[in-house]
Amino acid sequence: MAALLIDQGVGSNLAFQPRLEIDESAARRTLRAQIAQLDLLLSAAVCEAFPDRLELPVIPARGPRVQSLGDLELLRDSLIGSLRQAREALAARELERSAARALLEQMLADPAKHRRLRIAQSELGVGGCGVWSVMPRLGPMGRLLGWWRVKLSSGCPLAT
Amino acid sequence: MSGELAAEFPGLRAGWISCQCSDPRCDPGVGERLALLASRFNGRQALELRQQQVPAAYRSFFRQVGLDPEQQPTPIEQAVLGRLLSGGNLPQDRISDGLLLALLETSVPVVAFEAGAVAPPITIRGAEHGELVTDAELEPGALILADGQRPLCQLFSAPEPPLAAAAESESLLLVAVVVPGVSEIASDEALTIAAAAISGG
Repeated sequence: MAALLIDQGVGSNLAFQPRLEIDESAARRTLRAQIAQLDLLLSAAVCEAFPDRLELPVIPARGPRVQSLGDLELLRDSLIGSLRQAREALAARELERSAARALLEQMLADPAKHRRLRIAQSELGVGGCGVWSVMPRLGPMGRLLGWWRVKLSSGCPLAT
Repeated sequence: MSGELAAEFPGLRAGWISCQCSDPRCDPGVGERLALLASRFNGRQALELRQQQVPAAYRSFFRQVGLDPEQQPTPIEQAVLGRLLSGGNLPQDRISDGLLLALLETSVPVVAFEAGAVAPPITIRGAEHGELVTDAELEPGALILADGQRPLCQLFSAPEPPLAAAAESESLLLVAVVVPGVSEIASDEALTIAAAAISGG
């Protein structure tokens, strides 16, 4: 409802209070479309993070009902916040993986400088549970003579 | 469906079909189909399901009515999560198996009511002040499934006895809640699959 006040000068305050029915349907439709789109983007981020789990903020819910315009706006804003958080987590993870990949390249180029270093496949963003590690060739003899090499372990231990 | 709700969610509707269940024991054929469907999902596929058209429509609708699908998963996501946790789609009884089969095949949830306890047409509407479902008062405005006489259950909640179909029920009314973005074909298919699996057709 809008209220329009017109001051017409000394001693006379005329107040118009026209009752306006505001049609919220277009705004609600737009918000619902935005929410659907944001949920799709959030779903894509969650799938991209797999097998890691994204910790998303909990959005309070109180049973299925038609939401008010304010509720829809709050939900839209919460989803934007969740999406930003998810993308930051993914970007941080990608940075860690890039660093791990760079370290692996250094390990492969010069194993002796990276003795006993281990990098798991998961740290590289690669499937499986193998581990790249710098080990001495021929056991103790290699350790004494400085013969180091990078070895990829054969994978997950067998289930017992 | 009420006019206000229809304007808010064009395409939201309830579909229903009657069917008979003459034998409450599990149908081996349905059990085989459920076992085959169980092999369709691993962890990644279960997660990626949310990006497919029909599951995404239910997720969006959950969000739009104030439910958080991360806290209260949509029916199809709940079913797939159950399959991952239990290691398979374990047969329960003919009615439960039929409903699960329809859900896994189409992603459209179907619930079963005791046919004698409900009076179609089934509608989706907001609860009014003082309305009860199995002695529990509904919050005004909560979205519910209702027949011509009374509320049946809250939307996306399992119906409770005596309205809900029991394993030994013979005459059933199957109801699918169809949200905007889900085609009529998908909902018809869900109801048909469930009815055929339950009645043994």
